[in-house]
Amino acid sequence: METAIKVEGLSKCYGNLRAIDNISLSVKCGTVFGLLGANGAGKSTAIECILGTKAADSGTVTLLGCDPKKDRKKLFQSVGVQFQQCDYQTEIKVSELCEETACLYKSASDWKELCVRFGIGDKLNSAVKNLSGGERQQLFIVLALIPNPKLVFLDELTTGLDAKARRDVWKILSDLKSKGLTILLTSHFMDEVEALCDEICILKKGNAVFYGTVEQAKEKSGCEKFEDAYLLLSGEEVMEK
Amino acid sequence: MKAFVVLLKNELKLNIRNMNMVIFAIIMPLVVLAILGFIYGTKPAADGASYTFLEQSFGALCTISICAGGLMGLPLVVSDYRERRILKRFKVTPVSPLKLLVVEFTIYILYCLVSMLTLAAAAMLIWKVRIGGSWPAFLGSWLLTMVSTLSIGMMVGGIAKNSKTASVIACILYFPMLIFSGATLPFEVMPDAMQKIVRIFPMTQGICLMKSAFLGLPVDNALFPITVMSAVTVICIGIAVKFFRWE
Repeated sequence: METAIKVEGLSKCYGNLRAIDNISLSVKCGTVFGLLGANGAGKSTAIECILGTKAADSGTVTLLGCDPKKDRKKLFQSVGVQFQQCDYQTEIKVSELCEETACLYKSASDWKELCVRFGIGDKLNSAVKNLSGGERQQLFIVLALIPNPKLVFLDELTTGLDAKARRDVWKILSDLKSKGLTILLTSHFMDEVEALCDEICILKKGNAVFYGTVEQAKEKSGCEKFEDAYLLLSGEEVMEK
Repeated sequence: MKAFVVLLKNELKLNIRNMNMVIFAIIMPLVVLAILGFIYGTKPAADGASYTFLEQSFGALCTISICAGGLMGLPLVVSDYRERRILKRFKVTPVSPLKLLVVEFTIYILYCLVSMLTLAAAAMLIWKVRIGGSWPAFLGSWLLTMVSTLSIGMMVGGIAKNSKTASVIACILYFPMLIFSGATLPFEVMPDAMQKIVRIFPMTQGICLMKSAFLGLPVDNALFPITVMSAVTVICIGIAVKFFRWE
């Protein structure tokens, strides 16, 4: 099986703060990888260093066999990205934002159909700023999928979505995965991670404290529920005893 | 090419929806024309001059939109996109910085063109302005003035850290050039000493060239302003593309 993401020894400091420290990971094509950790653990920094939007201090990254900095134009034809904080032109409408994104790719998918699948098909003529938080989140997942990507990065993909919308997103992503899409995601919802991820990596203050499958995490921690295992492994366990 | 057209169409729509440039680059020059028109009408520029005051000022009026677009609009739009992380989103797509900059550049060329055409129509219909020189020479000098000024804006927008820096630089460039290069206040009414100082603005060179071309006056040394403006264009666009910041 081919490797979609290969990261070795990635480190990044902000002044004295080690945002990520010597992270290595490898994601096989057609699998879902979850990057977990508390707020400030370094998830977004790791994603940005992998994508090349932030310069890492050290380490190497290979995405779909390309160097994300040198081969940017070629690589991003087949990579979709949803950043945690997304911004958009003040007055732009949903249809305009989708069209403007789609025109950049050689083989873009039908964005109208994607919007319908994600439940915002009736919002095409609305201004993006007038969407609800959940609708906007769905729009940004749509934007990440417009390139018809082989690999997609989703940073906190379902934050702000209601229970039904979350399930719908899981379903769509599982379908795409079965068609060969590779996904790297971050999430604070452990049910989501359990439902979607083949492998996970838990970050704590920039260090990888666990790397393996959800089942292995349960075994290692001795917890039955994955959420408990996550809290134990990430050192966020609630003080109750 | 398809990407360029779609980006241009959408970005132009957004720009018009914002209204700032419609006011500053299209309505304001017409207002200044109307004020000058009501004051000077079809009076000659000076006693015994063969051309009217408005004919003498026409080139300068065309640079109001060039100033507004190149020194305010363009740098602010690009740096605002940077600060709002819109450029960061573009960075993880296959688009090149040059394409994005050229799209915004083209939008302001369109504003300048519309402004020039509306000014010409109004001045000719209402105040009987006639061109004494040649249209090709006038349009050539207009094009050069516009492209060189817009390229300054492209450089500021391309490399300014955030929209605050860009706005400070834009103001430092915009207001002196707008007021003193002859765009609003006619060069001819300034005292001699002041004329000498404002000659250092590249805009002043452009306006003088446009005026001579419009009136059909002999130009002593056209090569100098042409060289200055061409050099500014090449250097600024080069810097903007080379040192472009996504965020």
